Amino acid sequence: MKTTTHKALGAALVLTSALVQGCASDPSRPKTFSTDWLDDGGRSISEVQARLRGARPSANVDLVVSVAGNDKIIGTPLGNGAQWTATHALDARPIIAGGVVVVSGGNEVAALDATSGKKLWARPTGGLPLLGAGDDGNVTALSLSRGAGSTLLIVGRDGSVKRQLETDKAIGDPEVVGGVVFVPWANQYVSALDAATGDEIGRVTIRDKVSRALAIGGTLYFGELAYIRFDDKIGQASRGGASRVAIPSRELPGTPRLLVPGTEKVPPVANARDRDRLFGRPSGDSTPLGIDSNRFYASYYRLIFGFESQRGHLAWVRTHAHDFIGGEAVGGGVVLCDDEGKIVVLDAQTGQVSMEKPIGEPIKSCVVHADSFQAPKPASPGPSLGQQITDAVTVREATLATAQRLLLRELATLEDDTATKTLIDIASDARSVPVLVADARAALATRRNGASHMLAALAKHYDYLHDVLRSPPVGPLADALAAMKDPNAAPLVAARLLDPQITDDDVKRAAAALALIGTDKEMPQLKQFFAMYRGTAPTDEVAVAVGSVGEAMLRINPKEARPLVEAAVKDSMTVAVARARLEALLAATPEKPAADKADKPADKPSADKPASEKPAAAKPAPAAKPAPAAKPATKK
Amino acid sequence: MRAPTTLPTLRRVALALLLTCAGASSASAQPAKPPAAKPAAKTDVGPAVQKLKSGDEAQIRAGLDDLRIVGPAAASAAPAVADILARGLSEPLAHQAIDTLGDLEASDGSAILAQYAQHRTVAIRRAAIKALTRTKGPAAATALRKALGDSDAQVRGNAAAGLGALKAKDAVPDLFAALDHKVNEAAASIGQLCNAEQCDQLAGKLGKLPFDVVTSGLEPVLFRPASDMSDDAKIKLLGRLRELGTGEANRFLKDVEKRLPKEASPRIRQAVEQAVKATTGGSQ
Repeated sequence: MKTTTHKALGAALVLTSALVQGCASDPSRPKTFSTDWLDDGGRSISEVQARLRGARPSANVDLVVSVAGNDKIIGTPLGNGAQWTATHALDARPIIAGGVVVVSGGNEVAALDATSGKKLWARPTGGLPLLGAGDDGNVTALSLSRGAGSTLLIVGRDGSVKRQLETDKAIGDPEVVGGVVFVPWANQYVSALDAATGDEIGRVTIRDKVSRALAIGGTLYFGELAYIRFDDKIGQASRGGASRVAIPSRELPGTPRLLVPGTEKVPPVANARDRDRLFGRPSGDSTPLGIDSNRFYASYYRLIFGFESQRGHLAWVRTHAHDFIGGEAVGGGVVLCDDEGKIVVLDAQTGQVSMEKPIGEPIKSCVVHADSFQAPKPASPGPSLGQQITDAVTVREATLATAQRLLLRELATLEDDTATKTLIDIASDARSVPVLVADARAALATRRNGASHMLAALAKHYDYLHDVLRSPPVGPLADALAAMKDPNAAPLVAARLLDPQITDDDVKRAAAALALIGTDKEMPQLKQFFAMYRGTAPTDEVAVAVGSVGEAMLRINPKEARPLVEAAVKDSMTVAVARARLEALLAATPEKPAADKADKPADKPSADKPASEKPAAAKPAPAAKPAPAAKPATKK
Repeated sequence: MRAPTTLPTLRRVALALLLTCAGASSASAQPAKPPAAKPAAKTDVGPAVQKLKSGDEAQIRAGLDDLRIVGPAAASAAPAVADILARGLSEPLAHQAIDTLGDLEASDGSAILAQYAQHRTVAIRRAAIKALTRTKGPAAATALRKALGDSDAQVRGNAAAGLGALKAKDAVPDLFAALDHKVNEAAASIGQLCNAEQCDQLAGKLGKLPFDVVTSGLEPVLFRPASDMSDDAKIKLLGRLRELGTGEANRFLKDVEKRLPKEASPRIRQAVEQAVKATTGGSQ
């Protein structure tokens, strides 16, 4: 994320010289990294900005730098140009800073030419860890951690140290523009230092946490959690008036960071935090400052998400073959590298691959910097968002579960039959991660489309011999189909009601659904369930299901069902929870006085043949006309 | 989980005598034999059935006890037992009723047992599968085949064993599927039911499945009468075992050699002897 200034170097040096001369005698200027400075309302930084207006960072580096093996550094240009390799001991991630690649290790820091990998210079560090670097084509500024304090080293192109500043403050990642070194420190200040003298010639207080100064596409920004543009509004920064853009707040997979804090040493080998990143590119000179292509991106292991940058809506998700371990947002897309050594460029709008480039070997980490590179347009728009989510959530890797849960919630918002099918598939698959199953079940219950997929799922059942080791999500499907009043659902739900392999919760919900949508055709199964479980319900959920089945029977065929329910209530063998529900049900559904009275209620449930032996009644289902007994039972 | 079903021994004996005497006075003149050993003599099950119809838990329990003591001789009470199960019972009584149907060994009980073989409580499913093996009939075979896909290993194992006992030859393909899914009890049932081709298919599992599992199926094949399984088919199996050449094959063949019935054909006897010799000194 560092760039450099190649243009107008001469002019910049003149400007810097003038600045230094102008400042040297000005007692109102802050002392370097002093904490007794009173905010000058942006006056000093505005002066620096005005004087540097002709010395913007130039956009000239489009490069991926990877670490392979123990000390191998590979530079891969995003555009034309040959890939290069270099060797140097590494104790920190390489930094692309303008026209150089800064590497650290073996008690020295070195600058490699960004186009060839050739070592330009090296300086001993005494083992101080490298935190950040900036370069303007003339000098390179390095920040090194020194216990609680820091060292700022300003090195000329010939390797000579121009300035070495020691401070007890924690300074962040510096940037150099036109001979002025911008140094974020104490998480709130950015000091502008004259590279030649080391004097502080301006300072700004930033209202966001700030630990990085960085040049992107020829524009200088400060930030960590947001981008603050160094433009003619920078003087208003302390009053919150600077040009600023941040990623909208929304649920993201894991806890990704937009920028690694500039005070944090980044190890040479990628770790878990590198697999959980946020990328967004500020829009450059546009006003107001925005996010390029209206997209920001989040990587999570081998998933990459594209979000709309205004409200954070998910635009696309792509499932890659290997884990992403680094990347950067570029114009019109995002550049990522995976641990197998492939660079992929994705289109901002669709998430489709628009370019691929092999590094040639597996890599341990990578950094990307793009100033002028634009992601090409992909050949096709790719599959629907629903399909993309399906592809991502059906990957059976426990490490992806967090992101997959997020995606399931996104999927549940899509009015798409295939979304329903995906939810069913996840909930029905014994290999699915348990939290995903729970989420999929919850989402399914609220679906109001995809009934054909739901019915097809209900027709399946657990079968050890055929490796179907999880029953379909009968309860949620029953909930949804009952809410949709699907006429084809009742027989399938009734068949599952007697399936011992579904969960007790599923039984309860299936029975509740049948209380709403069951017909006379389901009476045999209802009666069988009622008889079998009124005295043997193994859990309260199944006992509640007995109550719901009683309710269904009374609604469908009160004449036949009432004696059964009454007898069950009187029978001491009926489990207490079921009996209580049945009593409440009878109380809520008074007996019809007229012709039905002639049918004397039996003392015990009728001795009907088992459901499987008795064909369903041929007469039309009384359920077609709502019976007065259709009130829901009092829930206990 | 089960309610106590035992009665004092004296009461059991007395009840058994009463029930058997009431319906078959001539039987009293016969030498005393254990009731279960008798052919299904007619028994007056009326009193027991009345208890079942009482609606009272204790009476029902007593009625079921009475019937279990009599066993198959009280088969005519099976519909009454099935009826109380179809109406619904408490779990202990349901368990007892299922066991009773098994003891009565009447196919009238198979249909309701098939329903309880799908009960949510695994103990009830296990009991129902065991009982179905004794009640037999088409409904039993269908239920046992279905139970091969149950989530409970014991249910699957009992179902596999039961299909062998029921001589459900149509179930052999399902039993092979079960065997491939580690339902080891399926091997013995396959051995009881397989035709020559299926038996050879079972022998083909040697080396792929544990030796003991496969031979638990091959053993019954070798001891099936010649009318049921040809000598050629048996000799083919012996050849497979001989080719194995292992110590465990040798031990198995020696055991078979010892137990060969007198009526075994000379060809079989010779084939076994040769196989034993060929595998002697085989690897362990």
